[in-house]
Amino acid sequence: MSGGAGKKVLGVTLGVLTAIGGFVDIGDLVANSQAGARFGTRLLWVVVLGVIGICVFAEMAGRVVAVSHRPVFDLIRERLGARMAMVTLVGSYLVTLLTLGAELGGVAIALHLATSVNYLLWVPVVAFVLWVVLWRVKFDTLEQVFGLMGLALIVFVVAAFALNTDWSKVGGELTAAPPDTENWMTYGYFAVALFASALTPYEVFFFSSGGVEERWNRSDLVTSRVNVFVGFPLGGLLAIAIMVCSSVVFEPAMVNVSNVSQAVLPVAIGLGKIGLAVVILGVFAVTFGAAMETGLSAGYTVAQYFGWQWGKSVAPKRDARFHTVILVSIVIGAVMLLTTLDPVQITEYSLIFSAVVLPLTYLPILLVANDREYLGDQVNGKIRNALGVLFLIIILIAAIAAIPLLIITGAGK
Amino acid sequence: MTTTPDGPDPLRIDFHLLDRQIVDPAGAKIGKVDDVELEVGDQGELRIAALLVGQHVLGERLKGAVGRWLAAVATRLHPEGRPQPLRIPFEHVTKVDSEVIVGLRKELFETPPLEKWLRDNLIGRIPGAGHASE
Repeated sequence: MSGGAGKKVLGVTLGVLTAIGGFVDIGDLVANSQAGARFGTRLLWVVVLGVIGICVFAEMAGRVVAVSHRPVFDLIRERLGARMAMVTLVGSYLVTLLTLGAELGGVAIALHLATSVNYLLWVPVVAFVLWVVLWRVKFDTLEQVFGLMGLALIVFVVAAFALNTDWSKVGGELTAAPPDTENWMTYGYFAVALFASALTPYEVFFFSSGGVEERWNRSDLVTSRVNVFVGFPLGGLLAIAIMVCSSVVFEPAMVNVSNVSQAVLPVAIGLGKIGLAVVILGVFAVTFGAAMETGLSAGYTVAQYFGWQWGKSVAPKRDARFHTVILVSIVIGAVMLLTTLDPVQITEYSLIFSAVVLPLTYLPILLVANDREYLGDQVNGKIRNALGVLFLIIILIAAIAAIPLLIITGAGK
Repeated sequence: MTTTPDGPDPLRIDFHLLDRQIVDPAGAKIGKVDDVELEVGDQGELRIAALLVGQHVLGERLKGAVGRWLAAVATRLHPEGRPQPLRIPFEHVTKVDSEVIVGLRKELFETPPLEKWLRDNLIGRIPGAGHASE
């Protein structure tokens, strides 16, 4: 931070813009389109709740990193003990892997929409490019490039207006019970998926590990908070726009969203070919950005559990185990797609299972954020703690309900 | 007691040592405190002789299904099937904080077999492995 105030402002702006684009990924795209098509805006409150949740979680994790310089998975092992942390590691790694597969699928489908070449042919190409990027390129540059490109998804906001949305209907549905075609079980299932799409564990692994690599200290706390408190809510707004667009186009026709090309259709209807081109660019950018984050997070979690060297500030041959985990994860993600498993279904399952493992990654951060030995004068105050505990309860409810709802509804059918 | 590192007093093995990150003076990561080795001192008191690092000792400490599985994987991954922990004598520990800092450079410790194998046979062979990202 040597460039003075101007550079600092630029840094904050870039961070905010990156956070907006980085908030949305394949999970948000799928969950919001599906929920919009089936429930209108009746589940919109869940997105708002999820955004507040990720703000609470990321703010605590950012503070913990800036003061104690410990990334999230270090703390998980210190606080839960090696055994429980191993369970958390296996769970989070599998979910991250599933998410990585889903994001790779998203990138391949965006390329398919742009080129008409079958997405399966794109999968190996995308996986290879992703690996090269994670192997060679310094991350913050790319994070910013893809974050900014992801802002193209603002077309969903524009489309929501171009589609002549009936805002009084949107408002009226906000507190409404599920429609006649649905029941409280499917309502609950999609509520969990939406909540998980906003509050994904990999985001926090990535965010905290990046903070450690960039050597955040107390002076970076303000920047980190602005990025979180401005960037994530604005990103949440994009998610809401996706839901509104989908509700306008699909709900009256009683059409379910089962693939990504349907999810971008409302923009094409509202804004024509140019809108479609922009939204495809946006989907490509956010899914590729998220694929980078999940690929790295897979490496972070394993390396941080075992205490291996990790990160991109050292040569790969000095953290060979970390780079091996990334390489193997990308290969598994690509193979998962090449078995022709449906990317949208992979996404749905990744959301439900990420809801299941979330408490185990959230709890250690909440504990450390209250620990003076780590945080000194930066421990949680009363309000932050009340919010922190409130979200622990909500996260626990979502985690407990996730699998039963998955089974009862047959994955929301 | 010959030397005591900077850090909490009294030092609790379970709370301040076990499962913490071990780093060298430059911050390079050596491993986790997977177990500790105790010895009987001159007055018959127990004291910490060394920190032990390795997936196999971690598995043995944890016991149960998770521990057995970890130890079995460690044995399988070891070239001769006899994994030995990295042993760091406690007098090399200079500070116990949110990390455990030792006074010796990472290069002075033996490279873990898995890291060495992957470096020599996989990662080290890929172009660009010798440079940090640009």
